[in-house]
Amino acid sequence: MAERTAATSGEKQQNWSTAIWLALPLVILGGIIALFLATGGGLELTSPAPVEALTIERVRLYPGRIEITARNASPKAVTIAQVIVNNAVWPYTTSNGATIPRMRTTTIYLDYHWSYGEAYAIRLFTSSGIPFDVSIPVAFETPKPDAKTLLSFTLIGFYVGVIPVYLGLFWFPALRQLGRRWMIFLLAVTAGLLVFLGLDTLTEALEQAAATPRPLQGNGLIGIGAIGTFFLLDVISKRQAAGGRSEASQRLSLAYMIATGIGLHNLGEGLAIGAAYNVGEIALGAFLVVGFIIQNITEGLGIIAPVLRDRPGIRHLALMGLIGGAPAIIGAWMGGFAPSPTLAVLFLAIGAGAVFEVVYEIAKLIQKDAAYKSAPLTVFSGVMTGMLILWVTGLLIK
Amino acid sequence: MKQSLSRRDFLRAGALTLLGTAGAAILQRASGKAQATPTHPMNHSNDAMAMAVGEVDHTKNGFNPSDILTDFDYGKTSILENGQTLREYDIYAINKEIEVAPGIVYPAWTYNGRIPGPTIRCTEGDLIRIHFRNGSSHPHSMHFHGIHSAQMDGVPGTPGMINPGESFTYEFEAEPFGVHLYHCHAAPLARHIAKGLYGAFIIDPKGGRPPVDREFVMVMSGFDVDFDDENDFYAVNAIPFHYQLHPIQIKVGEKVRIYLVNTLEFDLINSFHLHANFFHYYPTGTSLTPSEYTDTIMQTQAQRGILEFSYKYPGSYMFHAHNTEFAELGWTGNFEVVP
Repeated sequence: MAERTAATSGEKQQNWSTAIWLALPLVILGGIIALFLATGGGLELTSPAPVEALTIERVRLYPGRIEITARNASPKAVTIAQVIVNNAVWPYTTSNGATIPRMRTTTIYLDYHWSYGEAYAIRLFTSSGIPFDVSIPVAFETPKPDAKTLLSFTLIGFYVGVIPVYLGLFWFPALRQLGRRWMIFLLAVTAGLLVFLGLDTLTEALEQAAATPRPLQGNGLIGIGAIGTFFLLDVISKRQAAGGRSEASQRLSLAYMIATGIGLHNLGEGLAIGAAYNVGEIALGAFLVVGFIIQNITEGLGIIAPVLRDRPGIRHLALMGLIGGAPAIIGAWMGGFAPSPTLAVLFLAIGAGAVFEVVYEIAKLIQKDAAYKSAPLTVFSGVMTGMLILWVTGLLIK
Repeated sequence: MKQSLSRRDFLRAGALTLLGTAGAAILQRASGKAQATPTHPMNHSNDAMAMAVGEVDHTKNGFNPSDILTDFDYGKTSILENGQTLREYDIYAINKEIEVAPGIVYPAWTYNGRIPGPTIRCTEGDLIRIHFRNGSSHPHSMHFHGIHSAQMDGVPGTPGMINPGESFTYEFEAEPFGVHLYHCHAAPLARHIAKGLYGAFIIDPKGGRPPVDREFVMVMSGFDVDFDDENDFYAVNAIPFHYQLHPIQIKVGEKVRIYLVNTLEFDLINSFHLHANFFHYYPTGTSLTPSEYTDTIMQTQAQRGILEFSYKYPGSYMFHAHNTEFAELGWTGNFEVVP
């Protein structure tokens, strides 16, 4: 008893000294920061010119009115002094005042009779005389979030996401009849499709990251979102394997993971379409919608590839189709009504991480298959086919 | 100001619109929209026009364009032994933060802390002595448009180019009569003028010009606040929209004379247009006979002239650059004609 107490107190002492050793650098750090803030550490820290950054988050056009939402991404408050629209100084009002604190937003209202289809160049001058340009390539009334526009965004998401994914799923009964080698080929095609989609998603994430306010570090968010998702899905699939679940049920969860990855990719697609539709950058033509349907039909194919030899119920198939396709609708809503480049970056990064992890899972599945050994060319041609399908159908919509 | 739309954006938008037109009908039917031509309804009920938000702090700037209009500096006058009039002026160059448009502070270079610099006014044949001190951080000079010796020309390589902290006295006889200007001639010239170093220089003929009721000086210029060598704001007497906010009061039938000088940098021409009226124009003011009866004249940098007119009817009348871009970027104002 006495011995145990001694041991505990000794342990306690050790804990204490560990805690002190852990805390010591932090305490010193605090002291250095205080000293630095007080003295400047011998450096000239006042910037010779003001550092100002504004991120234009939204431009909305209503009859006789232009609204611009700007976020201050600079270290200090920024004051909007004058606004120039197409080479004319224009009166404006703001929602939260002309001075924007760091990371906050203000909306600038301009009573301006813009004309449909014309281009506008707007320049915001801050009090330091620094210009920030906003361009409206094609003026177009911003859809209001009413029932009618909600319906049209829902329909866009439905056409580009839900319909093609379900169409792909309809191949299930036919593909079940295929031989083992063809199934491996289909898995490889799926991997190829996913690699292509993953790259596409990553590119889109990088593009969106360029539009995020600097302090939110869009590129860093991509790393966090993509790598985090990759390892999280890895943990989940390893747990399932270790949990002694049947191979069939593991294949089913792989199919679900593919559906999730594809769903996130489609969310990104929806975001882009919604946002582009909103700023009038895109007039969604029939060709474009047809292109999306053709390209995305292969996504449905990808979802069912791992479970072709099993008998997943119709309910599983329906649910997977929904997971893969419906996010396009949500994406269109978000992109259309509440675009946030930062959220978009995060979603796209998660999508990229999920897609690449699923490729890794498919690779493991193929390697496990005995038929793989006898057909190395099958995998090569499958992956290439997958990538080429998307590249060729992409010609229709890019 | 440059349009910031890139050609590439334009082409992309155009291509997409083209693509879209083909399928618009189908999609619109699908989404429940049946508008054939989505046009933006034009609304002319309110009189929208270009205007800055707020007003500059004239007290802090140290000068007010409303005062500059009639602020003629005749100098410290004395009569020399030979009967000639001597006019002496003290002028210094100094760096100064000026609010050049409401809310926008610009690191200007000024003569006597104001833009434009003092309007130097004298009579033909007067002896002009200008004691110039450079209190700025750059070499500056005063280069007068007029007839004088090379030594007094204020250009690099002459004694009139003055280093910071130093001083110089320019001396010459005022000739020929007319409306002229002065400006800094240090290199780089464009930047030195654009930053604010210019002013009007009026030489009256002996015996003066025919009398009028009102005389105004107007110096047309602009400011490049983001230093891209393109003007962002334009004005007469420096502050954009000033005379729109504070119209110039005159009376019906009053004879008005305007000494108009263009010092605008970067843009090739400037102009003056008077509304609902015509004026007699005396290019450079070197003749007492007008050359033209018009309502619009054009001036390149350093061109100047005298305008004479009177208003027949009371009311508010605009005057502005008829380079309408300049007008909507600040070079516009009003005469308030009262009975």
